[in-house]
Amino acid sequence: MPANVGLAQLSNAFLVAALLSYSLAVLAFTGDFAFGRRRGAAAAGRTRARVPELVGAGAAEAAAAGDAAPGARPAPGPGAGDGPAPLPPGTGSAAAWTRRDAAASTWVRVALAVTVAGVAAHLAGVITRGLAVHRIPWGNMYEFVTALTCVAVIFFLGLMIRYQAYRLGLFVMGAVVVALGLAQTVIYTEAGPLVPALQSYWLSIHVTAMTLATGTYFVAAVLGVVYLFAERHARRAAKRERQVKRERQAKRERQAMRELQPAGGPGGADAIMRRLPGPEALDRLAYRTVMFAFPIWTFGIIAGAIWADQAWGRYWGWDPTETWAFITWVVYACFLHARATAGWRGRKAAVIQLIGFGCLVFNLIGVSLFITGLHSYAGLN
Amino acid sequence: MSGLRAPDTVRRAGGPPPGRPDPSAAAPRPQLGLAGWLRWAWRQLTSMRTALVLLFLLAVGSVPGSVLPQQGINPAAVQQYFANHPALAPWLNRLGLFNVFAAPWYAAIYLLLFISLAGCVVPRTVRLARSARALPPPAPRNLARLPSSARLETALPPQQALAAATAMLSARRFRLRASGDWVAAEKGYRREAGNLLFHLALLGVLASIGLGGLFGYKGDRLLVAGSTFADTATNLDVFHPGRLVSAADLAPFTVALDGFSASYLTSGPDRGQPAMFHANIRYASAPGAPTRAYDLQVNHPLVVDGVRVFLIGHGFAPVFRVTDGTGRVVFDQPVPFLAAETATYTSEGVIKVPGARPQQLGFVGVFLPTAVVRGGRLQSAFPAPLNPMVSLVSYAGDLGLGSGVPQSVYQLQTAQMRRLAVSPRPLAPGQSITLPRGYGTLTFTGYRQWVSLAITYDPGQLPALACAIAALAGLLLSFFVRRRRVFVRAREAGDGRTVVDIGALARSDAGGGFEAEFAELADSLRSSLSQKEGG
Repeated sequence: MPANVGLAQLSNAFLVAALLSYSLAVLAFTGDFAFGRRRGAAAAGRTRARVPELVGAGAAEAAAAGDAAPGARPAPGPGAGDGPAPLPPGTGSAAAWTRRDAAASTWVRVALAVTVAGVAAHLAGVITRGLAVHRIPWGNMYEFVTALTCVAVIFFLGLMIRYQAYRLGLFVMGAVVVALGLAQTVIYTEAGPLVPALQSYWLSIHVTAMTLATGTYFVAAVLGVVYLFAERHARRAAKRERQVKRERQAKRERQAMRELQPAGGPGGADAIMRRLPGPEALDRLAYRTVMFAFPIWTFGIIAGAIWADQAWGRYWGWDPTETWAFITWVVYACFLHARATAGWRGRKAAVIQLIGFGCLVFNLIGVSLFITGLHSYAGLN
Repeated sequence: MSGLRAPDTVRRAGGPPPGRPDPSAAAPRPQLGLAGWLRWAWRQLTSMRTALVLLFLLAVGSVPGSVLPQQGINPAAVQQYFANHPALAPWLNRLGLFNVFAAPWYAAIYLLLFISLAGCVVPRTVRLARSARALPPPAPRNLARLPSSARLETALPPQQALAAATAMLSARRFRLRASGDWVAAEKGYRREAGNLLFHLALLGVLASIGLGGLFGYKGDRLLVAGSTFADTATNLDVFHPGRLVSAADLAPFTVALDGFSASYLTSGPDRGQPAMFHANIRYASAPGAPTRAYDLQVNHPLVVDGVRVFLIGHGFAPVFRVTDGTGRVVFDQPVPFLAAETATYTSEGVIKVPGARPQQLGFVGVFLPTAVVRGGRLQSAFPAPLNPMVSLVSYAGDLGLGSGVPQSVYQLQTAQMRRLAVSPRPLAPGQSITLPRGYGTLTFTGYRQWVSLAITYDPGQLPALACAIAALAGLLLSFFVRRRRVFVRAREAGDGRTVVDIGALARSDAGGGFEAEFAELADSLRSSLSQKEGG
């Protein structure tokens, strides 16, 4: 059945609207960083007593229960391992991540509203594309990227609202704008029917799972990158603090009265990092995101194997795309294990996670474009 | 188990922590006997760190398998690679890089990984089985020190308060232990079970793949429309039997190809993209058995006696008739040409006429399904046969077939042949060329379609699927079940009041959310206490 041109154009219009909305959202998130009020200093005193917000609903309920039940103590303690310890507050200064700071500012509310409008347009774009081509609208790379960014935004909206991680919006939505923008310009493909190899209901099952997993991994990767910066920042801040302490000690010994200020003022990266969740929280958030995506990815591989068995007569044939899906799976498995291994937590684990996402992107783009295989969608070999 | 913060995943960390002797490696430092070394090696192998490194190696080792052409997937591309990189290719070949997934070093990686995995998972399974009826540990003295805790007060006497707590926890299917003034409860054993299930199922997947490798087979067969083939080892163009499969084990079915049709998009940006393939076949499960018709399509294999037949390719086989210099018809048959390019199905092939006299004849040809002249060059504009034409280069001499060296049917050895001066005229169906020096004539009489079929039998397929599903189920359990312990203590606080402490810890809560569960537990204990007070 030929594609419905009118619907396809409508889909394109929706997607352009989505991209515009997302860009506006990025602007608003940036505005929040630039002009949003800093509440860190004011809230400094209260932080310790407060429940760190990133634990989200759970902690809030626990806190509520705590109010009702005298003595109920919602879990302080270090966040090492995967114990029940809450996500600890911000980097460097303890003041960074307080309830009031986490609360949505006007900028954030605007950004959220625009994002929600954008996601509505995005969904409409994906659906109309599907109606235009009379099939699941993730049959080629353009459609796949369009759909996976939609998943990423929806997933992130859920994450942001549940964990009140509004400030991460800038990074996730920034990455989404880049990916969706590239999809609409570089790899845009006209609406059309699929080659016979793809005409199977397994397309819906296999590729849908891969889309969901990829969209989620996308969010995890952004969190991983932010984590690496936050972790470096925290490390440097701790080092600075130690240095300042040492110098103070030395000065005191020399009876100097002048007090040293910590190096690095509130400008630049420091100002950004101070408003983000701390590295522990980011690490945990990324981990939970991968934990969500990994079983879906596993399911997607299994569904793909079943389909390959039906289409090509073998469930696993080391086709380049299969191989890279396997490599991606193995690297994310490395990440999950590394996080539970002494000496591999933190930075190393985050790097592994990003390598995993790199493999995924290479599979999506590199293998599809530069290595011929059965997944080249060129029909029969 | 004393560790309150059990590692989330399977293993302990690698060697002994720096600066401290490994208490479990009890052998004395100076002389580590053979047994000691073996134990040390086993510990190293089954450590998490080694498993991580092996996992990484597995990922890295797979990369060349996707970047370099592979013998098992595309042998022609491997030959091409040898031709293009004569210096490099032999070295890559020595390293097994053209057959990565069957290479010894690759097998070494995954076998070590799976041994490492088994060495970790099997003891843990035994431990889990033993602890199947183990009771939770006694309640710690100070519950306020636990990560989650709450203090309630009630007018009930301590024993009744504990009974309420027991009832509440029991209703939530906690495993219980009570003594004196405390109750201990634990839940979430399925987490470890899921974790182990996942890893054991992976071993099962490997075993299933091995099963397929032993007892399965696969073969390819190119079948020209109008012909029939029987599934025997000699009839297959390519035959990869499993290690324990003999030629006699093949299912004796026959397949005849009546016709093949393809439809293509005729407009739009994807013009020429295939839209549908149909191969009309008739098959019989054994010679002499009744034949049945089947419409073979991509994604719709034919299944005969557990063996499956797939449509994996198609092409054109132009039909040629060659009359030699003596006037005999020495050749009259379709010659399968292979698509050099799928977008237009420009196909290439070779005609060998060893029976021609006075000289053997050979032709190298290009088949153009929709021939058009563009920019002075003849080329194909569309993959469907709208204006089929063949263009040939003719040779005469010795085909080299008698030398005993096997030849590909798709290549002409022209070392001992002369190129004949025939004006390079493309032939439409029915047209002929006359060879010089009275060598004879060749007529392009028409064309037929061919399909390539993959015939596969894999007894490991269903076990592999079952194991994969089990692995997924195990994964979900281990990710989303949390193992947690809850303790309740009650003591009299004088003036008829009872202080009830409830404390809890999640031994694994990677998914988060235990705080909420604890709040709910504390809440329901409070309400059940106040209910009893009232009633």
